[in-house]
Amino acid sequence: MALCALAFTAGCGKEESGGAVKGDTLKLGAALSLTGQLAREGELTKEGYELCKSTINGKGGVKVGDKSYKIAIAYRDDKSEPDTAGQLVDRFNDKGIKLVLGPYGSSSTEAAAAVIEKNKQVMVEGAGADDKIFEKGYTQTFAVLSPATQYAASMVKATAELAQPKPKTAVFLTADDGFSKTVTEGGEAEAKKQGIKVLATESFPEGATDVSSALTKIRGKNADLILGSVHLEEGIAIIKQSAELGVKPAGAFGETVAPPTSDFVKTLGDSAEGVLGSTQWVPQVKGEDKYFGTAADYAKAFEAKYKRDPEYHNAEATAACLALALGLEKAGSTDTQKVRDSVAGLDEETFFGPIDFNKQGENEAKPMSVIQIQGGKAVTVWPKEQAESELKWPAG
Amino acid sequence: MATDPQAGKPASAEGPGEARRLGFLSGRAGWAATAVALLFFIALPAQLYGSQQRTLAAAFMFVALAQGWNLIGGFAGYPSFGNVVFFGLGGYTTAILMAKAGASFYVALPAAALVGLGFALLMGVPVLRLRGHYFAIATLGVAEGVREVVLNLDGLTGGGSGLTVPAVGIEATTSYPGNAGFYYMFLALAVLATAVVLWVSRSRFGYGLRAIAQDEDAAAAMGIDTTRAKIGAFALAGVITSLAGAMYAFQQVTIYPARLFDVQFTLLMVVMAVIGGSGTVVGPVLGALGLTFLSEYLRNNLTDYHTLVFGLIIVVAVILLPQGLVRFVREGWRTRRFSLLDNVRAYRL
Amino acid sequence: MTEFLQSTIYGLLQGGLLALVAVGFSLVWGVMNVVNLAHGTFVVLGAYVAWQLNKSAGVDPFLGMFAAAACLFVAGYAVHMLLINQVIKAPIWMTLLLTFGLELVLINAMVLVFSGDFRSINTGWAGDAIALGDVRIPYGRLAGFLVAVGLTLALVLFMSRTRLGLAIKATGMDRDAARLMGIPARRVYATTFAIAAAMAGAAGAIVGTVGTFSPASAPAFTLQSFVIAVLGGLGNMWGALAGGLVLGLVQSWGGQYLSGTLVNALAFGVLVAVLIVRPAGLIGKPYYEARVET
Repeated sequence: MALCALAFTAGCGKEESGGAVKGDTLKLGAALSLTGQLAREGELTKEGYELCKSTINGKGGVKVGDKSYKIAIAYRDDKSEPDTAGQLVDRFNDKGIKLVLGPYGSSSTEAAAAVIEKNKQVMVEGAGADDKIFEKGYTQTFAVLSPATQYAASMVKATAELAQPKPKTAVFLTADDGFSKTVTEGGEAEAKKQGIKVLATESFPEGATDVSSALTKIRGKNADLILGSVHLEEGIAIIKQSAELGVKPAGAFGETVAPPTSDFVKTLGDSAEGVLGSTQWVPQVKGEDKYFGTAADYAKAFEAKYKRDPEYHNAEATAACLALALGLEKAGSTDTQKVRDSVAGLDEETFFGPIDFNKQGENEAKPMSVIQIQGGKAVTVWPKEQAESELKWPAG
Repeated sequence: MATDPQAGKPASAEGPGEARRLGFLSGRAGWAATAVALLFFIALPAQLYGSQQRTLAAAFMFVALAQGWNLIGGFAGYPSFGNVVFFGLGGYTTAILMAKAGASFYVALPAAALVGLGFALLMGVPVLRLRGHYFAIATLGVAEGVREVVLNLDGLTGGGSGLTVPAVGIEATTSYPGNAGFYYMFLALAVLATAVVLWVSRSRFGYGLRAIAQDEDAAAAMGIDTTRAKIGAFALAGVITSLAGAMYAFQQVTIYPARLFDVQFTLLMVVMAVIGGSGTVVGPVLGALGLTFLSEYLRNNLTDYHTLVFGLIIVVAVILLPQGLVRFVREGWRTRRFSLLDNVRAYRL
Repeated sequence: MTEFLQSTIYGLLQGGLLALVAVGFSLVWGVMNVVNLAHGTFVVLGAYVAWQLNKSAGVDPFLGMFAAAACLFVAGYAVHMLLINQVIKAPIWMTLLLTFGLELVLINAMVLVFSGDFRSINTGWAGDAIALGDVRIPYGRLAGFLVAVGLTLALVLFMSRTRLGLAIKATGMDRDAARLMGIPARRVYATTFAIAAAMAGAAGAIVGTVGTFSPASAPAFTLQSFVIAVLGGLGNMWGALAGGLVLGLVQSWGGQYLSGTLVNALAFGVLVAVLIVRPAGLIGKPYYEARVET
């Protein structure tokens, strides 16, 4: 038995020693949720990374100093478990892989970030938005996506700016996981700033498919805005059960995360009309970079490779990979600390929008986009420079 | 079931007499082998990468968890499906004391053990009156219920946002042991847990537990205080499991209720103990180490299918080795006949 | 007042559906002393069958329900004969572990085949509701409730009026005596398991219509089935219905009058309380209590 143990561990060790650079290939590590609760989003993230890899390699690879490296990405499954994500990042470090692309989800990202900090690796991620990750004084992790506090706040801002008449009241429906709670806090703060009264905030367990209690409680309040800080499952449940229970906002529903996905409209059909959503990226985003061109170009490239429209999960993953590549090029070296410093100093326009990290590693420069379901499609309505169409208000 | 006296009875836990009948790995040979294994594990970390140390630390943690389950499920015959509640309570006690009261880990650790003991007594008294499946479901219900309560007490526990132990930087109350440090910590716990099980197996207490597992009413009739014995086993299991949870919380730095009270832990510790051999001393060790490595190996080599294959292996192992590996080897050695199909024939209709 | 009525009605409708999810689980546990941890996966599989039929052929899920039940019947029979039967006489945690492994295999197989995406079956009419004043009764859930009650009733009649039903009950009471009477116990067990799977599949089709599902939803269904089976008394069909209704009401009222996040804690609290105070369940029948637990 002891011999078996040695064999296994030795076997593991022999896999890929010698560091991340082999010949003219540079290997990045990515621990993703390929199975488990977040398998779907993990797969979307992988697609984003793969598109980045094929695009950059197709253009000759990353130019580091006077050498060009082809990118290779080592994928490992973290089973949607945060401690597994941490362990896998540790393993990357042992194999000399210092540059890591982030996992999916705030919990896994938080776990990975702790290990990255300890090992002095560098991680660029596009799927862990909880501000809490960046309040710990970490210096080695960077997030290309807008932080969690913006998810609901952006919809509040959008309606305050565009809606006629301006909404006066709002209620929040929130799942009880950390990310959703941060989103709600951000939304409530923004509502206060805009002079919108928050009549109630109701919570329910994460993953709930039955939100009827929360809906019944807010039914009589007749709020202008009903905002849900939820994930896809709860988001669909809210709309479906609101129709059943006769809960209608005077203005519109808004949900984070759920409406921009294709499943939302497919599942809800007509009931999805008029629902607002916030998203990290739409093909109308302004910005252009040398690898992917504009946001519209990115959408085209994605469609060519995967035969469907990209979701924002794909875009944010590609953006993370792109940021790392740009950092490498700027550093002119694969030395980890130099790369970290270059990434920290990035100030670029990309297909994903601006990438400019603040001291904590968050990409504050990039606004979120707000969409509305119009005619069965997610149409960008805010900010003004990205808007495809007018906000429909009242929505229903 | 009433007319099927042999069916459904847990195979009797081993005792001193049975160990002597073994013919190999008993007595001096057994102690020598154990000493060699221990020295090997103590020397090993120097040869390993940090992540390999982490994997082994996880394996040792599961050894402790499986041994804890072994006491209540294997020896006493009460299949608890809620042991993770101690894991979670130990972990949260530690995290809360360290994060909110600024305590050192080495103060929080015994506190966690006390909490585990206390909760085992609190829960054990009503729940150990139930038997069989009912007991299993009750423990599961308690574990899930406590998780939900912890999730809702978010002022104290952080709820869904998680709780972070101050482990790095100036705020740290105890210096973070690192991969090698945790390796040794969990190794020590695994050794402790196995030693406890060894002691139990050779003591009158263990004898009483085995009698309860065979036929509780007969045991009571023989004068064994079944309530005290059961609660004793449950309390030991609770202490060991909550110590594991405390160390785990420190290691993970940020903990969430969904993870620390995850029913997966319970299922894994049961699988490991049973496939290794519940009611034996060595069985859970083999089961825990073996299944942890198997899981790692599958995950590294079969990225897309690993959970599926792992599930298949469990299904096959349960069918072919229902009494666990240790007993299978022992029986086979004794009768000079190793046949997996015999097992199947014994338990099928 | 309308809040209370709405909450009550919703809870009852939900409860009826939960009962249908759980009734097969309770039957298998009561008759065969097998706790099927993979029960939730049967529910989700049924949902996928109905979803696929709806997507490819536009079949209404309330018709697709029958197809789901049929598929799951066959699957359940096969699972029993090939797997469960091998450990049927072993200590109880063998079947627990076996079904745990089976659950892992099935959930991951579903992820590979269908992907982890959330699905829901759309019908034009299920979202509409009858309105009684301010209280609304959604059509989809109402239909689901009626189907659930109807199927439970059918099962009860089956168990008490047909030879096969009586054979199942007999085997559940005393397997060896039943075999002495000439009842082929293995086939009876397989049929019982198959019926349970079929009911789960039918429930899945309905659940898929009124809510969303994905492979990851399976364990939650199993957990709910535990609670309901215990509440209602093992092997007791009416008990499963009662248990489901009670759970549905407790969760609905709890969500309404306490914080919404306590809903799950309540369910488990009820479970543990019932187990400690009255393990036979709310409608525990004497002869099931008398069964010797090994």
